[in-house]
Amino acid sequence: MSDVALSNGTNKGYRLPERFRPIVDDTSCKRCRRCVTECSYRAIDCVGDHIVATDGCVACGRCAAFCPTGSIEIETIPNQFPPHANFTERIRRGIMSQASTGGVLLSSCGTDVEHPVIFDELLLDAAQVTNPSIDPLREEIETITFLGRRSGKLTVSEKDSFSFISEIGPVIAMDMPLMIGHISLGSVSYNVQKALFTAAKELNIVAGSGEGGLHPDFYVYADHINSEIASGRFGVTSGYLNKVAAVEIKIGQGAKPGHGGHLPGEKVTDLISHTRMIPIGTDALSPYPHHDIYSIEDLQQLVSGLKEATEYRVPIGVKIAATHNVAAVSSGIVRAGADFLTIDGFRGGTGSSPRIIRDHAGMPIEVAVAVVDRRLTEEGLRNRVALCAGGSIRSSADMIKCIALGADVVMTCTAVLIAIGCHVCQQCHRGLCSWGIATQKPELTSRVDPGLAAMRVKNLLSAWNEELKEVLGAMGIDSVESLVGNRDRLRHFGANPRIAEIMGVKHVGEGWG
Amino acid sequence: MSGLQGNPISQYGLLRTTSPRTIPERPTGSPATRPSGLGYQMGGCGISGCISTQGRGISGESISRMLTTMSERENGLGAGYACYGLFPNRRDEFCLQLILDNEESKCAVEEFLKEHADVTKDEKVFTRKVRTLSPPYPLVWRYFVKPAEKREWRGNSNLSEEDYVVKLVMHINREVEGAFCVSSGKDMAVFKGNGYSYEISEFYDINRYSGQLWISHSRFPTNSPGWWGGAHPIGILDWAVCHNGEITSYGVNKKLVEMAGYVCTLQTDTEVIAYTWDLLVRKHQLPIPAAAFAMAPWHHSEIPRMDPNSGLLAKALRLTYKEAFLNGPFSIIVGRREPEITMIALADRKKLRPLIVGTSSDRDLVFAASEECAIRAIDTQADTWTTNAGSPMIAQVGKGVVRQGVEPPFSGVVR
Repeated sequence: MSDVALSNGTNKGYRLPERFRPIVDDTSCKRCRRCVTECSYRAIDCVGDHIVATDGCVACGRCAAFCPTGSIEIETIPNQFPPHANFTERIRRGIMSQASTGGVLLSSCGTDVEHPVIFDELLLDAAQVTNPSIDPLREEIETITFLGRRSGKLTVSEKDSFSFISEIGPVIAMDMPLMIGHISLGSVSYNVQKALFTAAKELNIVAGSGEGGLHPDFYVYADHINSEIASGRFGVTSGYLNKVAAVEIKIGQGAKPGHGGHLPGEKVTDLISHTRMIPIGTDALSPYPHHDIYSIEDLQQLVSGLKEATEYRVPIGVKIAATHNVAAVSSGIVRAGADFLTIDGFRGGTGSSPRIIRDHAGMPIEVAVAVVDRRLTEEGLRNRVALCAGGSIRSSADMIKCIALGADVVMTCTAVLIAIGCHVCQQCHRGLCSWGIATQKPELTSRVDPGLAAMRVKNLLSAWNEELKEVLGAMGIDSVESLVGNRDRLRHFGANPRIAEIMGVKHVGEGWG
Repeated sequence: MSGLQGNPISQYGLLRTTSPRTIPERPTGSPATRPSGLGYQMGGCGISGCISTQGRGISGESISRMLTTMSERENGLGAGYACYGLFPNRRDEFCLQLILDNEESKCAVEEFLKEHADVTKDEKVFTRKVRTLSPPYPLVWRYFVKPAEKREWRGNSNLSEEDYVVKLVMHINREVEGAFCVSSGKDMAVFKGNGYSYEISEFYDINRYSGQLWISHSRFPTNSPGWWGGAHPIGILDWAVCHNGEITSYGVNKKLVEMAGYVCTLQTDTEVIAYTWDLLVRKHQLPIPAAAFAMAPWHHSEIPRMDPNSGLLAKALRLTYKEAFLNGPFSIIVGRREPEITMIALADRKKLRPLIVGTSSDRDLVFAASEECAIRAIDTQADTWTTNAGSPMIAQVGKGVVRQGVEPPFSGVVR
C-alpha cells in the first residue's frame, strides 16, 4: 500500500501516521550524507548539520546498511490508532487510503496477512534402528531432477539382447529439485535478471523468464531458462521459443489468481519496451484470461501449438494459481498434454498486485500440492507429468516438506531476491526499490552487481540443496525422487487435524502406514 | 555406573540372554481378520530360497531346515513358505489359498467365488495342532478356479484372466470378513502364519510337500499384530515375495501400484514390492533385469560408465519408473511360475541387508538366503557367492543360473 499517495492537499487532516522512522545517532553520525543518497524514498534528509527523518520510510533498511558508522536504526512506530481488535490498524489504514484515493489498493511481494503457515506445522521423519540413515558426507545422495513428460510405460524386449523403444521426453535434467520462479524483466532490473540467469546456469537448474520475452543479451542463458507465455504475449517470438529449455503457459499467479500482469508505465523504459515490444511508458497490463483460452480444449490447442512451434524438443508446461478447484483443473491440464504443471500458492510473490486479491484469494501451496498429487495419482496420471510448486518457499525446510507433499520441483522467487538484497518492504510496484532490484531507474539498478548477486543466489540454493541431502540422509533415502509425495515421512503438529486429513498427512504420534 | 558401586554385578546372578520363549507373548486374535488399526508393519527378517534347475522335487524338509537354522533372525511373530510346482495335475488352474476365521467366512468366500469363477475343486489344506502354537488356528482352504468366461468387473469387461483374478483377490481381502487369500497363482501355494518358522512348518506339515522351487521367510517384527495374513511370503498371482528390509520410499512406491489399480490391503512394503514385480514384468513386459534395475537402479553419476545404449536404457528406466525405485535397505527373494519357474534374489543398491546365493556341486540346486548357514545347513559342499548391490541373481527351471548377480545391469542393448 502506498501511503505516499495521500500527501495531496485535498486530503489535509487525513494524513496517515508514519509506520517507520530512521533514527540517527547524532553523536556517531559523520554527516557524510550517504544515507540521503541511498534513500530512494526521500525518507531521510540533511537539515543544517543534522540528518533527520522525513516522511515515507518503508523500512527497506538501505540507509542503515550503508551508514559507514552504523549510526542508523529503523524504528517501527507503534500503532497510533486506538486499539480495536476488529477494526485493526491495518483495516483502518486501508479504509483511509481508499477514501483519499478512490482507487484499488496496490501492494507487492507475497501477502503479509497472518494466515497460519502449514509448513510450520509439519514435522519430518528420520530413520532409527530398523533402517540406517545415510551420511551425505560419505555417500552420494542424488538430487538430480527431471522436468518434463514421462510415458508411464517403457517397451523393452529381451530376446537375444535387450532392445527398447525410447519413449522418454522431452525432459530436462536439473542438478537440484529447485527452480527460480518467474521474475520478469520489467518487474526487476536487467542486472537482477542477469544474476538469476547466471546462477541458474551455474547451478544447472532453470530460471523463469517471467512475462515479457527475453532480452537478446540473455540468449546465452537460454538453455537454463523456462520461458513464460502469458496472456499479454509480450515479446513472444518463435525465435526465442526455440532457444529456451522449457516453455510455460502462465494461466495464473499465486499472488493474484484471475489477474494478468501489472507492470506500471514508470517501469517501461527503453530496454523493457524493446524486450516486451510495447511503447515506452505504457502500462503493460496483460489481459486477465488468455483471449485464446476460454476452456480446457483451447488450452490443449495452445499446448499443441507450442509443441509444434518448438518441434517437440522442449517440455511445455502450464502454470496455474492454486484456487479452490485446483485438483480437477490440474487433471484437465495434464490431459490437455502439459509436460509439466506448476502450482503457485496464494502466498507467492508479485511485483504489483491489487491487495484485495493478494490477501484474500487462492489457497496455500501445502494443501494445493497435496490434493493435486493425490488427484493425479487417483486418475493414474501422476507418472506422466512433472509437478512443480511454489508460492512462498522460504527455506530448505519448506522445500523438503513441499516435495514430500507431492512436488517434483520446487520454485522459489522471493527468497532469491532476499539473497540479492530485498528486504520485503512491499513497495516493488512503485519502481523506487532502493536495493536496485524492483526498479528500472539507472541510478538504482546500478546498485546490483550481477556477479556478486549471482554468487549470493548460488550460495543460497546450494546451501538448500545440501540441507536437502542432510534430511534425505537422515530419512534413509538416497535419492530425492523417493521423497516425492512420500507423505508417510511427514507428520502434522498443528491445531487443525482436518487440514492434515485433506493433505493425507498423519498426526504426530501416529506410526507408519 | 555409580548405582552399581558396592553391588558387584555377580550379585545379580548371570544375566541370561533372551531365550526365545521369554519374549514376546504372541497376541491372540482372529488369524484371518486384519486387526483394526493395524498400520504399517516393519522389522527384520530371515529369508531363504531353493530351486531345482533340473525341475526335480525339493522336499519341504530342506527349505524348513534352511529357514529354521537362522533362528537369530526371528522372534516368533510370523513365518511362511511358498512352494512352486505343487499341483502338476492342475497346473493351468489358479489356486486360491485362503486363511479363514470360521465356517461363515468360508461360506461367504464360496458364495462370491461361485458367482465370479468356475471352482473346479476345493479342499482343506492339511494343518495340525502344534503344542507351542496357541489357538485360535485358522481354517485353511484352497480353491482351484478358472476365471469365468465373462470376466466383467465393475463395468470393465476387457480384463485378462490374470487381471481378473487380481480383482477377485483384492475383493476377498478387502470385503469378505474373516477371509484372506494368501496366494493366487497357478501351480503354487503359500503356507504362512504367526509363529516361529519351525512351528509354521509343523502346523502345515511342510515336509509332506515337494516342489521345484521353495522360498521362505521368518520375521522379527518391531510391532506384533496377531494376524496370519501379514506374514510372508506375500503372494499375488504366481508371484511370491519374501522380503527382509524396510522401504523408505514406501509412500512413493504405493502410488505407482495404486495408479495401476492394485489395492494395498496389507500396508506392508512387501505387498507393494509384490505388486511392483507384477506390474513391471507381467503387465509392462519388462525383462526381469530391467525391472530389477528400476527397483534398485544405479546412480545417475554411474550411468556414464555403461555403453551408450545401455546408458540410454538405464536413464529411460530411471525416468519412467522412478516411483518403482525401492529406496532403503532390503534383500528379497522372489518366486514366479510364468513362463517358467524362476527364483530371483535381489538386494538394494547399497546392499544394506544381507544376501548370499549358491549352487550345489552338481549345479542342480540354486540357493539364496540371508545367511550362509542356511545354505550350509542343507549342502555343506555348495559353491556360494554374494551378489552385487542392486544386481539380481536369476535361476530358472530348465535353464540354470541365467544371471549370477555380479554382471552389469544389461548387456548388448540395441535400439
